[in-house]
Amino acid sequence: MILEMKQISRYFGPVKAVDEVNFTVGEAEIHGLLGENGAGKSTLMNILGGALQPNGGQIFIDGQLIEDMTIHKSNALGIKFIHQELNLVNDLTVFENLFLGQELTNQFGILDRKAMIARSLDVLKRIKVDIDPIEIVSNLEPSRKQLIEIARALLFESKLIIMDEPTTALTNKEIDILFDIMRSLKAHGLSIIFISHKMPELFAICEKYTVLRDGKFIETGYLKDINEQKATNLLVGRSIVNSQHVKEIVHGPVVMQVAGLTSKGHFRDISFDLHEGEVLAITGLHGDGRGELSESLFGARHVEAGTVTVHGKHLKLGNIRDVMRAGVGMVPRNRKERSIIKDMSILNNLSIAFFIAKHKKIFIDKQEEIERFKRNQKITDIRAGNIDDDITSMSGGNQQKVIVSRWLELNSDIYILDNPTQGIDVGAKFEIYKLIEELARRGKSLVIFSSEFPEIYKVADRCLVMYEGQINAELDREHLTEINVMFYATGANKEGINANNIQQPV
Amino acid sequence: MRIISSNPFKNLTWEKVWAFVSKYSYVVSFIGLLTIATIINPRYFSYANLSTLLLQASIKGIIALGMAILIICGMIDLSVGSIVALVAGLGVVVLNYTGNPWATLAFCMAFGALLGSINGLLVAFGRIAPFIVTLATMSAYRSIIVQLGQGGPFNVNSDILPWFRMIAAGNVWGIPNLALIFIAIMTVVAVIMSRTKFGRYVYAVGSNEQAARLAGINVNMIKIACFTITGLLAGISAFLLMSRLTSITAPNAGSQFELDAIAGVAIGGIAMTGGRGMIAGSFMGALMVQMIEGVLIAARIPPFLNGLVKGIIIIFTVLLQRKKANN
Repeated sequence: MILEMKQISRYFGPVKAVDEVNFTVGEAEIHGLLGENGAGKSTLMNILGGALQPNGGQIFIDGQLIEDMTIHKSNALGIKFIHQELNLVNDLTVFENLFLGQELTNQFGILDRKAMIARSLDVLKRIKVDIDPIEIVSNLEPSRKQLIEIARALLFESKLIIMDEPTTALTNKEIDILFDIMRSLKAHGLSIIFISHKMPELFAICEKYTVLRDGKFIETGYLKDINEQKATNLLVGRSIVNSQHVKEIVHGPVVMQVAGLTSKGHFRDISFDLHEGEVLAITGLHGDGRGELSESLFGARHVEAGTVTVHGKHLKLGNIRDVMRAGVGMVPRNRKERSIIKDMSILNNLSIAFFIAKHKKIFIDKQEEIERFKRNQKITDIRAGNIDDDITSMSGGNQQKVIVSRWLELNSDIYILDNPTQGIDVGAKFEIYKLIEELARRGKSLVIFSSEFPEIYKVADRCLVMYEGQINAELDREHLTEINVMFYATGANKEGINANNIQQPV
Repeated sequence: MRIISSNPFKNLTWEKVWAFVSKYSYVVSFIGLLTIATIINPRYFSYANLSTLLLQASIKGIIALGMAILIICGMIDLSVGSIVALVAGLGVVVLNYTGNPWATLAFCMAFGALLGSINGLLVAFGRIAPFIVTLATMSAYRSIIVQLGQGGPFNVNSDILPWFRMIAAGNVWGIPNLALIFIAIMTVVAVIMSRTKFGRYVYAVGSNEQAARLAGINVNMIKIACFTITGLLAGISAFLLMSRLTSITAPNAGSQFELDAIAGVAIGGIAMTGGRGMIAGSFMGALMVQMIEGVLIAARIPPFLNGLVKGIIIIFTVLLQRKKANN
């Protein structure tokens, strides 16, 4: 199939998710689509798959203009989309999942189990996967589920397969098998669009590439003509970061030591020191185990091995209250699910953590609570009308300030902030940055988990870059550039996948 | 720019009224119900009648207080009626053996708390939905007492009976003992729920368990405590029921108590989704459930339709709550 997408645009309100992008894939070609989070890759692919309607532009398939693309039409044309997240029904068997919505029936309209099982066996054999078609999907490992997603795309005649980060859940061996399958599909004349954040994989399997950045088409060409450094540069662009790091870097004594922290399937062998007054950023790409690491540091997730020492004392991991009392506070990511207690007032949301760690009296004193609120309001500049109103009546930025205050009130020495500026407006973001600087100036130590480089650049003294569950690089202020972060976050320093296996989190 | 309202004060007042009404919806419905009852029976609104109402509502009402705690915590307990039967049946045995009301009360509270904590442990550590756990224990607890009673009733000995029944039948300065006990327990529970850390945690867990956990709350302990308190209150209720009836028939005692308790909590303006509501609401709710029975009798509606009316009330209040939440 020859695919040409011309001048495709798609707006979400004022945001141009995709802006006049040209994208061409040739017959029997494996084409790598590159871009950072939010660059417009998914939007573009959803337009091709018919899930989103473009605001402008044309799609040509084998030279023919396709108008009003729908999911159904795209399917009929032989375009198959393998999604990053698993879309399997866990309680059904493998073959039932493979044929879901496209079941084979006999002349009486009764399901033809035998034929479906036979065809499932065929396709599983083709991709060299040893899975019983009558196995229940929930009994399978995540990586095997991903392979079933892939098998589903191969079950019916297809001409173009879109793979959106298909390797995130796979083991090395399975990635090698997947690449073999991709090569054999290519030999049969199929075209593949391969979306991945991992440079070694892209260079191992793709022949052409297209880079998107901020919804715009940047460049297309042959991967053999560029190297990983060049690819990273294209991805990031030479965007000038317009914010200045004003805090002077101090190196106080070590307050927190993390050694060999490992959680099966998420991250392994994480070690670092945190100094007094230091702002340490931890970054990476989706699926690098960052979120799980932040939870483990706070005692909210089980770890298999490793220790965390605060002020020379071992933390009992796995018990949030002990960690809190040892002087560690945490602002979790996903404010709505993990921080906000939606039925409670602004005031009560602020004081909840205080009760756990500090409150010793029998009764709650409302006057004390109000004083506590006022004290924090001055520091975090919470803008609230009536403090007895529900917290959900506030803007996202103000909600986050309440949550930050919740932890400030504990007067912890160490703060873990996981995506602290998620879903809040620019003004509130800057206030949070100011607050981070202020805390560090007062001698607090902060670990900030973030995927936004401008944010890291603004606040961090030092940055750890994670790749596949491990710390791939440590960047000091001097080497803290977006290109460097991308380079290590994509594992571009690792060698090719077949030559030297990428370390997988087991 | 469009001028929204010519008189901003008028808007403000209505909003305030609406805010008050939605927060204290149980007061509004209580007044409404009282009005209806008085229209049907002009003599309804009298001291004698209202103190009888409190008396009648008290035994089930104490359970409604426990149910309120559980529902605020995002859970439910269907086994309260069976706990009452099991505790009351064995309570009679203890009373007859010891002849001591304090020892019997202590037994009832401890045994009720134990039965409740079994529910809590299964929910917290077994990770089974409260609905399922308490459905199972509802059947199990009832079955034990029916077997122990061999079908016959547990009767309070005749030498104990005259003074023991006075616990429920007596009064202080014309106020029935049961009403006083009910109000006292309500006050204690209301203070715990509104003025202590524990109460705050219960609301937090019911509203957002994940956020509560990440704020350092020991969610499992809170859940177990809620069930234990509910069991303890059911134990007190069982003790009072013993005094009131002086004869406990295992298959019937406390039956449908869970329905009345849940109905009371629902009418009392406590969110069925957890995290919201006031103990005073469930207190008034329990009174209202009792009033509805009275109103039905006064209106000459067959008492068999009691269950239908309660069922409709539960569904209706939950629908109203959802509408309010969507607004």
